[in-house]
Amino acid sequence: MKQLKKGVAILLVMVMSLMAFTGCKKENAANDGNNDSTQKPTTTTAPNTDAQPTAEAAEPDTITVLLPPVSPTYQDYFDEWAKEFNELYPNLTLNIEAASWEDVGQKLDVQVQAGSPPDIAFVGAGSISKYIDTGLLVDISDYATEEMLNDFDQNILNYYRNGDGLYGMPAYAEVHGIGGNREMLEKAGIDWRKVQQEGWTFEEFREAIKKGVVKEGDTTKTYGFVFACSGVTAADYLNIFVKNAGMPDIFTKDLKYAYTSKNFLKLLEAMRTLIDDGSMPKELSSIDAGKRWNMFLTGQTMITGKGLSVFERSAKLNNDKIDANDGSAVEGSIKADYIILPVPTFFGNPMQAAGAIDGYVMFRGKEEPKAEHLSNVAKAMYFLASGEIAAITCNDLYISPVCQTGKDAMANVEKPEGKNEDNTKAAERLVSMISAARTDITPELGAKAQRIADEVMVPKFQALLANEITPQQMYDAVKQAAIEAFGEDGIVVD
Amino acid sequence: MNKVKNTSLHARKKRKLTNESIWGYIFILAPLLVFLLFTLYPILDAFIISFQKFKPLKTEWVGLENYTKTFKSSLFYQSLINTVVYTGITVPLSMLMSFVISILIVPLTKKKQNFFKAAYYLPAIASGVALSFVWKWIYDPLPSGLLNRLVSFFGVDNQNWLGSSNTAMFSLILMALLSSHGSTIIIYIAALLGIDNSYYESADIDGATFFEKIRYIVLPLVKPTTVFLLITSVIGSFQVFQNAYLMTGGGPDNKTTMVGLLIFNNAFKYFEYGQASAQALILTVIIGIFTFVQFKITGDNVEY
Repeated sequence: MKQLKKGVAILLVMVMSLMAFTGCKKENAANDGNNDSTQKPTTTTAPNTDAQPTAEAAEPDTITVLLPPVSPTYQDYFDEWAKEFNELYPNLTLNIEAASWEDVGQKLDVQVQAGSPPDIAFVGAGSISKYIDTGLLVDISDYATEEMLNDFDQNILNYYRNGDGLYGMPAYAEVHGIGGNREMLEKAGIDWRKVQQEGWTFEEFREAIKKGVVKEGDTTKTYGFVFACSGVTAADYLNIFVKNAGMPDIFTKDLKYAYTSKNFLKLLEAMRTLIDDGSMPKELSSIDAGKRWNMFLTGQTMITGKGLSVFERSAKLNNDKIDANDGSAVEGSIKADYIILPVPTFFGNPMQAAGAIDGYVMFRGKEEPKAEHLSNVAKAMYFLASGEIAAITCNDLYISPVCQTGKDAMANVEKPEGKNEDNTKAAERLVSMISAARTDITPELGAKAQRIADEVMVPKFQALLANEITPQQMYDAVKQAAIEAFGEDGIVVD
Repeated sequence: MNKVKNTSLHARKKRKLTNESIWGYIFILAPLLVFLLFTLYPILDAFIISFQKFKPLKTEWVGLENYTKTFKSSLFYQSLINTVVYTGITVPLSMLMSFVISILIVPLTKKKQNFFKAAYYLPAIASGVALSFVWKWIYDPLPSGLLNRLVSFFGVDNQNWLGSSNTAMFSLILMALLSSHGSTIIIYIAALLGIDNSYYESADIDGATFFEKIRYIVLPLVKPTTVFLLITSVIGSFQVFQNAYLMTGGGPDNKTTMVGLLIFNNAFKYFEYGQASAQALILTVIIGIFTFVQFKITGDNVEY
């Protein structure tokens, strides 16, 4: 009996000790492509492999994918898509892991740093440089066929280019803009259809949002314009507006840091005047994305930002709930039809829409992957980024696909009921105005600019919105940081 | 003969020692492995990484570059000042409040004690993210916000609690003060209950007042607990990250950027693990110095 007790105790201790090591085992089979790790190419840029199945390519392979809820119903289709993919390529298995928007970035980053990322991840085109720098992001130009790549709008696809490499396939191109409440816009005498078609200048915009302000005594009941500016969202406000002030990119064509231009100072002054006018709340610096959407639905603002096409759907859903006396409608909300509006232009500069291009990128692990595995991953990327899946995703987001097969597949997808066609046209017009992709900005330059944005620009901009520093002080701080990062010769002087 | 006897004794002692100790060694093996794997190894690894530019595929040795960069960074110094200010206000006030609450709870019946202990401990088991949502609602910057409505009764103008440099740090401190008493109160109550009643009876006979009892009986007898709580609270406060990350993101104008947040950003936002490790080790040294000084100042006559 005593011996038995001792035996059980030893067993327990061994199990506990083993548990301490569990999780350290490196599971990298997916990145190896299959169980056979004896045949490995010497580099990731292996010779071109076409999409035609070969005897070797027919080996069983599992492709791991990490995806956020890209659209409201996107994650509901995962099992169906995995099954369809397997029917299309019987030797391939698509293993999709769902993650929330809150978790997905951090989850991916940790996996990347550990050297064991998924084969495919959903990453914005603006974020690829930091992953290129890790050496784990795969240049897909050697694995995706020409047929695949030609399916996409080339300007949008180019957002995934860096130097000579191509690092992803776009799922969609959305425009980050602003949007208004139709009834309020009309009440303020704003011809929103004309604005959608022709755009507006900052002066016109400023006057328009002044008209949207409704006061009760000293209290503002409705603001003309509210943009989410709490935390990192302040960067969106600046990044979206700066494009229309003659600075479509952080770097000029000759790779000089652009935000040291005098236009940047004038833009900051203009943005500050909107608060001083009383058209925007003086507490803007701590209004987050949820709060400003709540303000839009409850009639506390006429125009809101950042605006996306899918907001039309969100507003419509809430309107339907109000009509149905559904208690889950936003508390205190009023019926609001969402109207897509372009961002105003500044100082006579042309309209340059702020494109948000998101899509699928390919990773490798620390182990050298097999070329046929990468080829299989490219097939899976294209499967997710094109055709019916692109159509379903874009339809869900109230936008048009950026690939021809997706556009064709739209014919078979049920369109959202009651969709505002003016909005559809406005969104298409804005997508066509997305500034040309910059493939010449190196990851190193991009990383330095990002540091300035995070450590100087956003904090100072929040202080500017809170009226604690002047536009000139913010401009000086950005300029000083830019000189430290890029040198006197690396910045715009005008 | 003697030699043989000694050898036999030694062998028996050795065998006896082995028999008695082996189970102890086996049972400490699991926690020892956990410690080696999840505490010591990461620390040593962080030390090595602090001299490297870490990349998953090809890590480069950069010598002291991460340290020199850190010491040249004005943001690092600002975050240190922010952290010291936060700690300097939060820890003493929080401990004082916990002590007072514990004193008020101790005379109650067991049932009531348990109720209050549970009530004060509740925020500790709640998710930090959930708490931050509640606090964001409290700090709503518009006039309709809860705290703004409260202060308006006292004639105070609408405040941009988290968005203004004047109030952002105060808001984080207030949040910490009102939601982090749980464990401190439980430890203080345990210490207070450990004081023998005979001290109070004797003080009553001598005609001591309530405050005299606190000063001459309670404070000296709970001093080991106070020193322990002070040191652990200072260490915890220096590592503060969550509140700043969730509530302000370090803004506005980096006025609430704490060292913990800076380390997090370097590691997970910019993938600068080398610099993050260097900053973490510098913070470790600073915490070590603070702890040593605290022990020197407050640790006299304290025995555990």
